[in-house]
Amino acid sequence: MAAAESSPLTTHVLNSGDGVPAARMALSLHRLDAQLMIWSMLSVGTTDKDGRCSGLIARGAFGPGMYKLRFETGSYWESRGQNSFYPYVEVVFSITEPEQRFHLPLLMSRFSYSTYRGS
Amino acid sequence: MSAHRLQQLKGHILPGNKITAMAAPSPLTTHVLNTAMGVPGANMGLSLYRQDPSTSAWSLITTGITNADGRCPGLITTEMFTSGVYRLHFETAQYWESMGETCFYPYVEIVFTTNDPGKKYHVPLLLSRFSYSTYRGS
Repeated sequence: MAAAESSPLTTHVLNSGDGVPAARMALSLHRLDAQLMIWSMLSVGTTDKDGRCSGLIARGAFGPGMYKLRFETGSYWESRGQNSFYPYVEVVFSITEPEQRFHLPLLMSRFSYSTYRGS
Repeated sequence: MSAHRLQQLKGHILPGNKITAMAAPSPLTTHVLNTAMGVPGANMGLSLYRQDPSTSAWSLITTGITNADGRCPGLITTEMFTSGVYRLHFETAQYWESMGETCFYPYVEIVFTTNDPGKKYHVPLLLSRFSYSTYRGS
């Protein structure tokens, strides 16, 4: 169920090897507890046919801190009958201005990936 | 002098690497490039870990600092480089902070699987303050 206001953090996974959105890829969002120095999972989801995953986090829950997006890329390639170099991809990033929007895409193939901070 | 021989000599004389004076170059190499400034990513701290297949615990193999060319020779020996899951950890925020800049990524970790340790694995990192990419090279 979509949140009343869309997530300030979005992603988009693209299969650059095949030139298609990476659909049905599992992913999860985590935040680092700065006191305990442990990660806690905030949400888990699966990309839609467009490679997107809505509702990652609510605007009210999105404070400053260190976050991690984990993409189950290895499982994705396995489901397509192929192996890949990376069992998973984790992108760890630091949010200091949570009032902004953050778009963190993942462009990936079996043997490469890239990411950037968009909006 | 061949490029290969020059690389071996550089591995002997550059500081910061735990494994030095190796007989053969590391079968696993990296190369950090600062794509924002168009320069090698020099003096970046990094570490290599291997995952224990039965316990899933990570153990540290080596730590190092990239040289002026953004490389870090001597990551691992051929004998130690068995098939498995490895993790390269790059101190990206520290790197940018040393130049008075912030970085969106406090660190970058690349986790990869090797199942043919007889081959060469080159895992570069192309990095700016707000983006990075990597690929499997040789």
